[in-house]
Amino acid sequence: MPRVRQRPIAGAAVCAGVFLVLAARGYGQAPGPARVIVDRFGPAAIERGISPLQTRAPGTPNEMRRRSIRPASQAIDRAGRAGAAYRPGRVIVKFKDGASPAAKSSAMSAVSRTAALSARPDFANFDVVTIGADEDAESAADAFRARADVEYAQPAYRVHPEFVPNDAFYKQGLQWNFPLIDLERAWDIQPQAGSSITVAVVDTGVAYTSATARFHANAFREDSDGFTEPPTGSGTLYPALGDLTLSFAAATELGPSSRFVKPHDFIWDDEMPLDLDGHGTHVSGTIGQLTNNGSNGAGDTRNGGGTAGIAFNVKIMPVKVLDSDWDDIFGSPNVGTDDVVARGIRYAADNGAQVINLSLGRTGPPAPVIEDAMKYAIGKGAFIAVAAGNDFDEGNPLEVLPEIASRIPGAVSVAGVDRAKGHASYSSTGSWVEVAAPGGDFGAFGAEGGILQQTLDLDLVETFTLPVAQFTAPRFDALAYFYFTGTSMAAAHVSGVAAMLMQQGITNPAAVEAALEQFTMPCSEAQNTCSTSIAANRNNSYGFGLIDARNALRGLGLSR
Amino acid sequence: MKTAIACLLTLAVSAPLAAQTRGAASIDPSDPAVVFRPFFVVSAERFAAQETFKAAFGGAIEPMFGGGLEVVLRNGIYVDAAVSRFKKTGQRAFFANGQTFPLGIPLTATLIPIEVTGGYRFNLSSWPRLVPYAGAGVGSYGYEETSEFSDPSENVSTRHLGYLAVGGIDVRVHRLVGIAGDVQYTRVTGILGSGGVSKAAGEDDLGGVAVRLKVTIGR
Repeated sequence: MPRVRQRPIAGAAVCAGVFLVLAARGYGQAPGPARVIVDRFGPAAIERGISPLQTRAPGTPNEMRRRSIRPASQAIDRAGRAGAAYRPGRVIVKFKDGASPAAKSSAMSAVSRTAALSARPDFANFDVVTIGADEDAESAADAFRARADVEYAQPAYRVHPEFVPNDAFYKQGLQWNFPLIDLERAWDIQPQAGSSITVAVVDTGVAYTSATARFHANAFREDSDGFTEPPTGSGTLYPALGDLTLSFAAATELGPSSRFVKPHDFIWDDEMPLDLDGHGTHVSGTIGQLTNNGSNGAGDTRNGGGTAGIAFNVKIMPVKVLDSDWDDIFGSPNVGTDDVVARGIRYAADNGAQVINLSLGRTGPPAPVIEDAMKYAIGKGAFIAVAAGNDFDEGNPLEVLPEIASRIPGAVSVAGVDRAKGHASYSSTGSWVEVAAPGGDFGAFGAEGGILQQTLDLDLVETFTLPVAQFTAPRFDALAYFYFTGTSMAAAHVSGVAAMLMQQGITNPAAVEAALEQFTMPCSEAQNTCSTSIAANRNNSYGFGLIDARNALRGLGLSR
Repeated sequence: MKTAIACLLTLAVSAPLAAQTRGAASIDPSDPAVVFRPFFVVSAERFAAQETFKAAFGGAIEPMFGGGLEVVLRNGIYVDAAVSRFKKTGQRAFFANGQTFPLGIPLTATLIPIEVTGGYRFNLSSWPRLVPYAGAGVGSYGYEETSEFSDPSENVSTRHLGYLAVGGIDVRVHRLVGIAGDVQYTRVTGILGSGGVSKAAGEDDLGGVAVRLKVTIGR
């Protein structure tokens, strides 16, 4: 009996397989639901070891290529007056308390004939007003701001991760970044490593769970002239892959599912913030990857425990607010804009995060909606670490989010240093820089100049960087160790140390900032390094200096 | 300490009734020219560096114990030399914007003052067994601070000069025993204020005001 029944089943499986392969090759054009979680289970992760690639670093060809992808199914970002990209068709507006519906309606009709008030999204104290996609959102925001009943208004500026990747194992000295901030002696002081603290990673999601999900992959275009604003619309067209059923694996080095609390996805509007990029997983790894697990059978047993993390016992709250290239290709309903980031920050604060990591940022006009959210989160007791920006080589413009952080006690903007404690070549400088932390730099140090953590195997994720003929569906069930560089990585160091400080007893966000800034190692712009022998004051490259985890945790005696 | 003060006051009130053998207010030629009196002292010191001590120990009033030798001349002038000790284990802390955050890292502070005081003892004709006294002096204040997770170079071991002023009453409860209660003010700079919580709190004085109870042995 079983054999008789097996034949039709096997035949059906073959047919289904052929269909899937054909669909994956671009014949499945019929749009289905954007994303369906098929199962909260997936096959075991494939461990691929250390990758020597230095593809993810500011300014690399790979980085430019990733930014040039234009999903055919999505609206194209528009460039504002200052060059900052924003999502057309909407304006973020915060009406003053007590503004009546009639007043709001009057304001909208005065600004635009097409303006309409959307239902207020969750975790927002602001409204999103939709306008015509061809209207100038900056002008509309200006018009809203001019009204007496509006507190602030701004376009939905695009926010992007502040990072650059690559990899190595701690015992082999590949994680040079931890000794650089005296972390081993900090672990002596606090071996619990933040076990009672929750860190929200507000990012591209985290590889925190196994799952199987179905997506519809749309066609997209890679602009031949790279990342330009506005996009030219020319370039190579990549075909739609159609419906794809994809497996997701949890990052073994991030530990069991019990470590993750209150996951939320503001890009797909559900509770499963899967990482389709690798950035959020890498950042989470620096903050809290399993440590000292080389022989206890936990984490990545194939690679002897893999890499270490800073606060390796913290609870991690994955909050997805940034869209990756695959999110765009799959047609996610939301993208990473100021309002989405603000909601993510508020969500994290409302759900008990004591530390919020913002390894993201943008340049351009102010972001009152994010500033409001940051103040709200700090008011609820959360400390915030913000990447200071990776745009030093791109004219070193003002970075919006770290500039906000520099004005708010309890939020810290973090610059990057290389493994020689020098200013990382990409790290933005300015009055907003408050402290420095290892961000890595490939320039003078090669791959091992980056920050190594386990993340998705980018070789199998970034298939859109291959020629069209080799373009295939991505895999999110393979893991590898990659070196990344960027102030994203630097901010993650500060978040990890902040979690340890909070566990140690410094529970006030402003006091955490004060401790981080007070116990830095002085850095000199002239000497381009940091040292205890340097008598240096705050400067625009390093802020108050390189963070010192051990000294910050050790605090103060009576006289020394 | 309250009990000790109460006992002292009781003794002081009862002293005139017990003063049956010596009533002269002037110098008695039969008295020896010099009297040597060893003494033990226990004190409660309210340290001037209140925020600093609160951060480490939870409070700024701490006990000290010691002893010394008092030399009293027939004309009422006295000099005493004393050594005392304060040692307590608290915890390291972080101090910011007036708020203290205990860090749970054990810290032990040891203060060993060596003080020399000179002053005058007033003979009261109507209260012959009550001897008020007042004096001033200098001290050498040894201070050590050690904490867990510290390198040897990060611990503190230093000694600085300080100044003191004292005033109190000695009650002769027996021909060979006196109990004195006094208040001593000390000012000790150079140890606190250049680092640690004391710098953050803007406190540079390791002295304070101590209420002391002395038991002296001898005539």
